[in-house]
Amino acid sequence: MKRLFVSILVFASVAVSTASAQTSSDDPAALKLAEPDFTLIGLPTSLRLPKFGSSFRVTHRFTTPLNGDFGDLASDLFGLDSGAQIGLEYRFGIVPNGQIGIHRTSNKTIEFFGQYAAIRQSAGHPVDVSGIVTVEGTNNFKDSYSPALGAIVSREIGDVAALYVEPIWVNNTNPLPKQVVDKNNTFIVGLGARVRVRPTVYISGEAAPRTGFKPGVTHGSFAIEKRAGGHLFQLNFSNAFGTTLAQIARGGPVENDWYLGFNISRKFY
Amino acid sequence: MKTRWLPVVALVCACGAWSGCDEKLSSLAGPTPSLEPTFASIQHDIFESTDSAGRTACTQCHTNVGRNPSGGLNLVHDLAYDQIVNVTSARKPGATRIIPGDPDNSYLIQKLEGKAGIVGNRMPNNGPPYLTDGQTLILRRWVAIGAPRN
Repeated sequence: MKRLFVSILVFASVAVSTASAQTSSDDPAALKLAEPDFTLIGLPTSLRLPKFGSSFRVTHRFTTPLNGDFGDLASDLFGLDSGAQIGLEYRFGIVPNGQIGIHRTSNKTIEFFGQYAAIRQSAGHPVDVSGIVTVEGTNNFKDSYSPALGAIVSREIGDVAALYVEPIWVNNTNPLPKQVVDKNNTFIVGLGARVRVRPTVYISGEAAPRTGFKPGVTHGSFAIEKRAGGHLFQLNFSNAFGTTLAQIARGGPVENDWYLGFNISRKFY
Repeated sequence: MKTRWLPVVALVCACGAWSGCDEKLSSLAGPTPSLEPTFASIQHDIFESTDSAGRTACTQCHTNVGRNPSGGLNLVHDLAYDQIVNVTSARKPGATRIIPGDPDNSYLIQKLEGKAGIVGNRMPNNGPPYLTDGQTLILRRWVAIGAPRN
């Protein structure tokens, strides 16, 4: 896990220090080769959604850990025959540079989110900066509400890569009432990168080191992706099942357990 | 302020509106919905009241009204705090009933949870029902924050 953090940090440092500023297209509907989707694996990206455009995403995180006996894993098709945490997401461009959306996971958590791209990477601005706010509630948004507030700072490096640093504060991450706990909030710094290794193939990785209430193991994930028109197909490996910000803040269940998963997204614009 | 920051301000306000929407303590307290991690609440809801699940009040036995307090522990009003906090157990030598800040080693907690090594029965003596996990958690929290006389 630490190795993953260090790798991402080193890669980010080198890339940011050597790359020249990239002027992005003004058309949010134009394909951004280095940033093809609205999420990395679980963390958001700063990709803009055109006004009245939309996007759909389905996430799967199979719950069988991959570090068992190979024969047993193969007989279970590496977790595909077992249960999964499934997420469905829809986002909509409500104003120029602004989007709202909903994400529901199969453990009955519903997350509403809004994102606004305030600064665009250009000759005068070395990075993209977006603000993001989410509110999620368990039991179909009836219990345990966890709002989150953060920023997405990203930098594209040509058409080859995009790097992300995402400081995010998540309130009420502890499932117990605040009267009986010492820590009820989590501050995460999402770190991520996506690299285009072939014209339509990407590898990506992310981690979410955190402070405050931090049960379990810190979220980490890596993936390989294939872009096909408006679709992005992603096969990922994660140590946690989280796809909402509070779930990511709460981390994964057991150290050194990794799980197979996939994301499929589709843009409608 | 440039207008492009207005949506960001709106996002911040939206987040602030939801912060503090925490779980209700009553959902944890179960059969004693008004139980809080304060001594006054514990005295009222645990020591002196039989709850809706049928767990009997501690003061049915731990009282000096009409009898000798069971185990030498008197939990009636105005006496209970000085009977438990930093007071050694009458039954188990070396054990302290409530050690402020240390719920794991507080003998009263161990008796209520039925931990190995206790002398006599898990409390309440006529249980089950015993305290629920949520009730015990609230009691533990009061001890963990220093067992104040509040």
